[in-house]
Amino acid sequence: MRLGAMFTARLRRNPMTRAVLSKFARGAQILAVSSTVFCKELVDVLRDRRTLIFMLVIPTVAIPVLMWVTSELMTHFMEKLAREQVDVLVLNPEAAPELVEEVKKRANPLGRARRVAELLKAKGVGESELAMTKGEPRAFLRLLEKKGIDPEELATELRVAVEDSDFKLEPGAIIQNAFPPNFRLVTELDPRDYDHPAEREQVLLEAVRTDEIAAAIEFADDALEKLASGDSTEIRVYYLDASDRSSTALSGLRRIFKSLGKQMVAERLLSKELPAGFANPVKVRPERLPGPGMLVKFLSQILPYMILIFAFMGAMYPAIDLGAGEKERGTLETLLVAPVSRLSIVLGKFGVILVAALVSAVLATISLSVSLYLGIFSTISLVSGGSFSFSIQEALVALLMIVPISGIFAALLLALSIFAKSFKEGQSYASPLQMVIIMPAFVSFVPGVKLDWLMASIPVVNVSLALKEIFTGNLDQHWAHVGVIFLSTSIFAGLLLWFATWWFQREQVLFRS
Amino acid sequence: MTAGSQALVSVVSLTKIFNDRQRGREEIRAVDAVSFEAHAGEIFGLLGVNGAGKTTTLRLLATMLKPTSGEASVCGHSISKEPQAVRRRIGFMSTATSLYGRLSAKEMVTYFGRLNGMSREAIEQRILELFDLFGMNEFRDRRCDKLSTGMKQKVSIVRTVLHDPEVMIFDEPTVGLDVLTSRTIVDFVKDCRTRGKCVLFSTHIMEEMEKLCDRVGVIHDGKLLACEPVEALKSRTPSGRVEDAFVKLVGEPA
Repeated sequence: MRLGAMFTARLRRNPMTRAVLSKFARGAQILAVSSTVFCKELVDVLRDRRTLIFMLVIPTVAIPVLMWVTSELMTHFMEKLAREQVDVLVLNPEAAPELVEEVKKRANPLGRARRVAELLKAKGVGESELAMTKGEPRAFLRLLEKKGIDPEELATELRVAVEDSDFKLEPGAIIQNAFPPNFRLVTELDPRDYDHPAEREQVLLEAVRTDEIAAAIEFADDALEKLASGDSTEIRVYYLDASDRSSTALSGLRRIFKSLGKQMVAERLLSKELPAGFANPVKVRPERLPGPGMLVKFLSQILPYMILIFAFMGAMYPAIDLGAGEKERGTLETLLVAPVSRLSIVLGKFGVILVAALVSAVLATISLSVSLYLGIFSTISLVSGGSFSFSIQEALVALLMIVPISGIFAALLLALSIFAKSFKEGQSYASPLQMVIIMPAFVSFVPGVKLDWLMASIPVVNVSLALKEIFTGNLDQHWAHVGVIFLSTSIFAGLLLWFATWWFQREQVLFRS
Repeated sequence: MTAGSQALVSVVSLTKIFNDRQRGREEIRAVDAVSFEAHAGEIFGLLGVNGAGKTTTLRLLATMLKPTSGEASVCGHSISKEPQAVRRRIGFMSTATSLYGRLSAKEMVTYFGRLNGMSREAIEQRILELFDLFGMNEFRDRRCDKLSTGMKQKVSIVRTVLHDPEVMIFDEPTVGLDVLTSRTIVDFVKDCRTRGKCVLFSTHIMEEMEKLCDRVGVIHDGKLLACEPVEALKSRTPSGRVEDAFVKLVGEPA
């Protein structure tokens, strides 16, 4: 006992230990003061409606609402496009009247389409949902699955309802028939009026531009002969790339001629007494593995971007409020004359901004995931399909990735904000910075960019990609990257915090006139 | 109560030079070799027109700015070497020291008590005492931005004296205030002297200075032109008026 006391007494007298002890005491004091500053600033910021809106309301409410509106609008316009009838000009109907008849039959089966749509509606499939799956057989199958409809049963019912012998029963065909390319074939323009091909193209271009027609088709003069002899013929489709109607017409015409071609092949095979698979010897049948689905892919692209943006936005208002806001409201001098170190003030303010960034980012993540999980957005959930889930480990590592990058945002914004004389000036500095942050964060959307050592060394980009890998479920292959990114980002954040503290001691910054 | 002989504030050729970027890095000597002393139990006035250097001098003393050269000490602590110790011993108030609008009066005062290193109990004790004294209990839990100007001034006063500092610094505290509100402040400044504090008080209003100050320093273009008792200043001109003495000292405007 006594020996121990003697030892501690000697230790206390040792100059080295005394120096260390006083360093510790000073550090503890700085932390104590900065926690006082932190608590006050937190209360202060939480009583500000502007900050609350940016930190809490926008991430939780605005994301789902905004995405829901976008999704509904998209559905609406796709539906409209599907219902709209457009005119397609046939330049030389006399060259292949039989083909024109076939196209007409396929191009405008509105009655049949209505019956299919009605049948599906009776089974609880809305028109908009149906429109979304147009040309997406896989999505259509998922839609049936979701509504609890057996595709086989549906096919039988449809056959009875439609009473059409050449009606295709594969899911993709059902959709195409529900919303067929809605064309009307017209023949007003006679190509023989124009000798020069360039002149004719000019007339066609004008017609497409003024929405008079959506596209034009032209048969080869020997089309019927070629077909009769078992050969193939080319059908020219004139269209305009820049026009939505025109490109939709092109793809519609493609589908029509493809189905026509299939029918012809079937007839040819039948006449030669060959099996139906003769012209189509190899077929691909995709078997989805029970791994991460399309929804995971979608989430892993959008979440890193959202997280980074919302971390920045959540930090922006408190940062401007706690720096420039103090100057604008004249409280900076009150604070500076208090007997505390500038470091404790900066630490306290930094802490509040960091917390705001994290709260905002986490809320955005939760709200986006929950709304996707509940299937609020018909567009996304139908097209993507599958489900997603994060383990606790993945969520924690993701959070560990977000903390230091939020620290960088917080320190940068605080430094800018201290420099600004007013709230407005602060905002005008933060907005360009926001652009600088958002651009590299967008990398999570770029396909094929993998997290490697080069990418891991670029700030913001590295965190975005690391989050993408974590959400895709590839954390196991990237532990080294994630560790290095965490360390380097933390060091960077620390340096920026050190800079902010130094900056906060400069008279030129605090008392700009 | 008599003025103590001990100098609580001593300023020795204090100089502050600003570089003005807008005017091609021209040097502005905002405070130019100013020296004076202020004692316990006296009110020392700094008199000067706007831009004469009063605010800069007081900001230097409050360690918000660092001097270019020269030295000053507050209660024996150097403003350049021990700024935190200096700030602990001063109560600083100016029109630029506003309140946090989103905090209540009590929260505001408590926060600054904590920043001054006071314990929660001590703060609670002082708040009971001071809020009673200034009749502030009625609005103690009201947010500062909902207070009237007079109430705000009272909160500021309590914020300034909560930690019972030995030196009080007032930088034009009455600018832009109505008669009643500035009266609260003037009474408070006098009260500080009665309690034996060393008070520094800057103003450009002659009557205010005459009413309050024991000694006065006339500052112009950063230079201290005179530093003497108010009576001595008055006797510089036959009229015996401070204004005439001031104009005579700084020279007629060109």
